[in-house]
Amino acid sequence: MSERYDSIVVGGGLLGAALAWMLAREGARVALLERDQLNQHASGQNAGSLHFQLEYRMVEHGWESARTAAEAMPLHLEAAREWAALGDELGESLGVAQQGGFMLAETAEQVEVLRRKTALEQEWGLDVRLLDGEEARRLAPYLSDSVLAAAFCPLEGKADTRIAGPALARGALRLGAEVRTRTEVVDLVPAGSGWAVHAVERSDAGERMLRLEADTVMLAAGVWTTRLGQLLDVSLPTIPLALMMSVSAPTAPFVPHLVQHAGTKLSLKQTGNGTVLIGGGWPARLPLAADGTPELDRRPTLLQSSLVGNAAAAIGVVPRTASLPIVRSWVGTTTVTPDQLPLVGQVPGRPGVFVATGGSAFTLGPSFARSLIALADGRPPGIDLHPYDPARFERLSHARR
Amino acid sequence: MTAAHDLVVVGAGPAGAAAALAAADAGLDVLVVDEQRAAGGQIFRTTPPEFGGRRKLPTGYPWAGELLDRARSHPGIAWRHGATVFGILPVAVDAAAGADASAGPGSAGFDVLTSDPADPARSGRVRARRVLIASGAYDMPVAIPGWTLPGVMMAGAVQGFLKSQRLRVADRVVLAGSHPLLLIVADQLLAAGARIEEVAIARGLPSPVELLRALPAVPGHVRLLGELAGCVLRLLRAGVRISTGTVPTEVLGDGRVQGVRLARADRGWRQTGPARTVDADALVLGYGFHPSTELARQLGCGLDWDSAQGGWIVRHDAQLETTVAGVHVAGEPSGVAGAEQSRAEGELAGLTIAAALGRPVPERALAGARRRIRSASRFSGVVQRMFAPRREALLELATPATEICRCETVTRGTIDGFLDENPFAGTADAVKLACRSGMGPCQGRYCESAVAGLVAKARGTGVGQAGRFAAHIPVKPVPLQAYVALADDPPAL
Repeated sequence: MSERYDSIVVGGGLLGAALAWMLAREGARVALLERDQLNQHASGQNAGSLHFQLEYRMVEHGWESARTAAEAMPLHLEAAREWAALGDELGESLGVAQQGGFMLAETAEQVEVLRRKTALEQEWGLDVRLLDGEEARRLAPYLSDSVLAAAFCPLEGKADTRIAGPALARGALRLGAEVRTRTEVVDLVPAGSGWAVHAVERSDAGERMLRLEADTVMLAAGVWTTRLGQLLDVSLPTIPLALMMSVSAPTAPFVPHLVQHAGTKLSLKQTGNGTVLIGGGWPARLPLAADGTPELDRRPTLLQSSLVGNAAAAIGVVPRTASLPIVRSWVGTTTVTPDQLPLVGQVPGRPGVFVATGGSAFTLGPSFARSLIALADGRPPGIDLHPYDPARFERLSHARR
Repeated sequence: MTAAHDLVVVGAGPAGAAAALAAADAGLDVLVVDEQRAAGGQIFRTTPPEFGGRRKLPTGYPWAGELLDRARSHPGIAWRHGATVFGILPVAVDAAAGADASAGPGSAGFDVLTSDPADPARSGRVRARRVLIASGAYDMPVAIPGWTLPGVMMAGAVQGFLKSQRLRVADRVVLAGSHPLLLIVADQLLAAGARIEEVAIARGLPSPVELLRALPAVPGHVRLLGELAGCVLRLLRAGVRISTGTVPTEVLGDGRVQGVRLARADRGWRQTGPARTVDADALVLGYGFHPSTELARQLGCGLDWDSAQGGWIVRHDAQLETTVAGVHVAGEPSGVAGAEQSRAEGELAGLTIAAALGRPVPERALAGARRRIRSASRFSGVVQRMFAPRREALLELATPATEICRCETVTRGTIDGFLDENPFAGTADAVKLACRSGMGPCQGRYCESAVAGLVAKARGTGVGQAGRFAAHIPVKPVPLQAYVALADDPPAL
């Protein structure tokens, strides 16, 4: 005997919760399955930046890759609009504040990067302007004198990663969706016109096998996407990237903006609770299995070089952070794809199964959710998803064979 | 950065000092890192030398003076006092020349990250072939209405003030709890000139059966029991009211403690009668201790839930090695069992580590240490059973308005409400992420067991199933600049 749904969402991060809520709002009967607790991995562990300027990782590898990255700008502009309205639609705060974000330059070379980057972004329609050091410090007196220039984007800001995902899940629950934690998907097989999802539900009493059926299945599993692809015999390549973040004890508000850097990995912001979050993509070490593949179920270890580098970068541009008591430095594993572009669309050759992950999936999560639901309904998505079509890797793997 | 030590010991209490001494006697190069100014841990805290006078150590442990003196003067032991170990990282195998790449984490040793709260520029790291976690325990917090008022203190802290500064924390004191330390602290406060308004013990008097069962554990611990009996006698002689089967239900006061409400409790420590008010300017709580396991958690060591032994304790083998190779544990983090057992465990751990690093260690010495652990554990086992906290009953003392997490001011009502609205949440960490309980400067030491207790109650599971908070670097807050000081050549700021 199996339970029947319109749609099953696999993964209880921000994207999965947004999908469940949006689907339930359209009247669909939805079940969300999460192997752990909700919001425990990348969605709850990332720094919650709503960044729409090109990041350091996109400009550090030269101008060609920056141009490629800029092609995702429509997705970012859509995400900026989406986040601004999401809390009101849901009727619950997601801790969103869009008070603007800086990207800083401390050398003449970095000023040049900002100049070109800003021009490129403006071509794509992003509201961003270049300020000199004095202008930046007038807006942000906490910045050090070493800041020579700053690109300022008023749309940027932050969402609260602690509350955004669970708030959306609660919204889904209010609309009748089912949310099942400690429930791991172990097989996906065609059933009639839809799919049968086999899952193991774990409780203190033991394990129980579930068989659920649905017309559509939405894969929102982040770093576990590749494993789910294997269940479907489809290549959905992802690369886990372990990153470090740190947070201070609460302090009086002094940084209203998102702060990033054009010459080093840095993101810095102050949350509504007064804590200062410091990150920016400093790596951690993923544990490797005997065969050299990363073990996703074990916690990565911090690297001292990252502790040193991230702290020096933060103190360099916001000197007041030097004396802030740091309460936690933690590691989360984010997901990128081999070509750095997200995977968004129908799983190739598996009608009814949709996937989204990879690359800024927190910032872009609500847009990904909206787009997948449109695709599943046979409606045109609001944005051109063609560059993110998962089939591009399927073709690649066939070509190799 | 200096050369690696054979062994870095975290904590200079009975376990750490005994381990350092045993390892150094066997020929190891040992560094002991401790937060205090002098060796001895909480149990053998003394006044600073500036106070003058002779060192006073508790009479129950006649070996203490010699252990500390020998350890302090041993040429094989270096000391770093006044420093906090805020994290331990396994040295990356590929980063260590000559390391066996097929071996697991820790095979190339560990970097022990330290910070000096008084001088963050002195932060840094030391490399160790092996590490021993002997970080002791802290007072078990109990959240009752009004417990955040100034004047509510824990028994261990009150004793710490007396031992280290001869400071009497208040003039009119109520003590409430279940741990034998409560009586010792009451006696010490009395001697220091405080007026003891009442000592409220949660459990009833021990039954004859319990006493009979406890008898075989006593040999060798006569001094300890004698000390306790002396405390009770002096308190009774001074006319102090000692109530059994009594729990505190509320702390009264405006801006500070002005009174304590006490009520009768049944054998399960649940309130049975109406509460009465006792005027006081301080309430001292003493329900037991939680082991300091944050370094073991941060390193990824396995832990097990054992309420009687203090809550989450570090899993270890008979040689006191944790589930992370090269990381050892001794004393309270392996299960709260007191100074006698801590010292014996430290000795065994020190000898085992020396043997593992190729030093000759006579089997006789190992057998002696094991025998002392067994003997001590007979006594500590009885203490644990007789005084085990009834955690579910203590949790019920918290009302919806009671702050569970005082760092982030999260009330019981908030946590219960979250659990009601989010039926899919079932772990302490899920509550932490959503409610912020456990995210403040104390990093959850004060609220973890209560949060897990609320989850367990709401979901009908055990505290062990509700899980524990993850621990991260830094295990105690450090200023951001302490990170920069970890660089081999710290950049100028």
